[in-house]
Amino acid sequence: MEDHLQNLYEVLSKVEGYVYPNEIELNWSILIVLYPYITGLVAGAFILASLERIFKIKVLKPTYGIALLTAFSFMLVATMPLVSHLGKPLRAYEIMITPHSSSAMAIFGFVYLWYLMVVLFLEIWFDYRRDMVIWGNESTGVKRFLYKLLSLWTTDISPKAVALDDRIGYIVTVIGIPSAFLLHGYVGFIFGSIKANPWWSTVLMPVIFLFSAMVSGIALVMLIYIVLTKVRKQLIDMECLDTIAKYLLYILLIDFALEGLDQIHRIYVAEESFEALHKLVFGKLFYTLFIYQMLIGTVIPLLTLGTLQFYKPKAQIRKLIYTILPLLVLAGIFFMRWNVVIGGQLFSKSFYGYTTFKTGLIGTEGYLMAAAWLIIPFLILSFLLWLLPPWKKIETSHE
Amino acid sequence: MPQHIKRLIGVFAIFIVLFLVMRQVLKPSSFGKLGHFRADAIYENTLKPMHYTVADSCTKCHQTVRAEKDKGFHKNLKCEVCHGPGLKHSLYAGQFKGKELPDSLKLYKPGERKDCSVCHQKNAARIKIQFDTINTTMVHQIDVAEHNPPDLKANEPANCIDCHNPHQP
Repeated sequence: MEDHLQNLYEVLSKVEGYVYPNEIELNWSILIVLYPYITGLVAGAFILASLERIFKIKVLKPTYGIALLTAFSFMLVATMPLVSHLGKPLRAYEIMITPHSSSAMAIFGFVYLWYLMVVLFLEIWFDYRRDMVIWGNESTGVKRFLYKLLSLWTTDISPKAVALDDRIGYIVTVIGIPSAFLLHGYVGFIFGSIKANPWWSTVLMPVIFLFSAMVSGIALVMLIYIVLTKVRKQLIDMECLDTIAKYLLYILLIDFALEGLDQIHRIYVAEESFEALHKLVFGKLFYTLFIYQMLIGTVIPLLTLGTLQFYKPKAQIRKLIYTILPLLVLAGIFFMRWNVVIGGQLFSKSFYGYTTFKTGLIGTEGYLMAAAWLIIPFLILSFLLWLLPPWKKIETSHE
Repeated sequence: MPQHIKRLIGVFAIFIVLFLVMRQVLKPSSFGKLGHFRADAIYENTLKPMHYTVADSCTKCHQTVRAEKDKGFHKNLKCEVCHGPGLKHSLYAGQFKGKELPDSLKLYKPGERKDCSVCHQKNAARIKIQFDTINTTMVHQIDVAEHNPPDLKANEPANCIDCHNPHQP
């Protein structure tokens, strides 16, 4: 038999019912699940940082620097899952040099660049400049060179210059909040604007993505803060953790309400796609949607955090809860991305059939590759925390 | 303006200039000639090997089969739907008239249950087609396991084409 036909028979074994030929293989794999996940962590972490800076929630001070550096480390990697998903990764830059205004992805490139360079880089730079100048003078060798390079060999740390840094940093953060909304709302927009896909096509998508981003970012910073204090053998600031947990509860509640609203709307409107989606949700997405995303990632954290608002157990127990909950939330948000990206491709746009998603451990689109892109931001973060430890900064009040 | 702001602006200026220079250098030469894409891409695509031919090139030699098929339900199906890509066959098979074809030029001759069931296996998702207003697009739904099942003792495969003429089913 010709190879072409042999292949056809093989792929047809993955299919139930009727699917169009281009729907048999999922073109957007686990790496595309990671893209909104990582971008969401960036936006969420940044918004947590801005709570302290703009909204003057002083109790969050211990997490400000950590949140900023976390956002930056994940931002550096955010596009890498996309690039490594490309068949020709070396052509990735072309989206930036020949952008078209009708290309959602090309505009994302510029939104990304704006956020990375103008918001995160500038905010961290202005925040750390004085410290980098001081640390540069105190240290030797490579570290000294790095500090000098990063501070652009500037020396001016007069109160006037520092006050200016602080003012510009504040303005950058103010610009940064809508930018963070833009960045992650945009990721939601990329999915929400695909009108041919009823699982994605909803105007609520950018908002849902935004709030789930905040949820995941806050959970991540919470976890990193707990781990860091443990590693540094410092006393954990329970008041700070309680406050983060409170914000996590609020945002998670909004996120849950929005996603619920989206689904209720879908159920009530019951468009022609409804039956196909209904079967998808109770079939191939049952575990990832109902068990992982809703039960483990949303309902259990909501109930626990809600209970903690009325009943406060001992600090030790709260600390344990605050260590486990972010893990659940982070897993839940991961599966939310999974359900959107993978779920949207599992059903045929004829609404008469389903395909199967299967990915390997190795290979350019395998689980190991995905794991690598999730681990690398933590390595970058470790480096940044070594180079720019927020706890060694000279206290500034951000007034 | 303080020194460090000047340096920062300098760094950003270098970055932007570098971007603009890179843009000029890296932009493919044929980009924008015909529209917002690389014009050479069209030419490069024409270099890809072809596999399929057109139905008319089958008719050049197989008029009788075509005439037969045109009277049946399969009249709207192109030959290559069942027989697989046939460009090579259509170009070179003529040279072997009366002789055995080399394997590389042989086309696939489907006729087993698994072949016909690609389209005809009973499938809830296909029901819509039965209500289609254009009658000829209706696909007969057969439960391949139930319909005239093969006699396992006799070791006879009972292929679909034993009873049905695929060109005029």
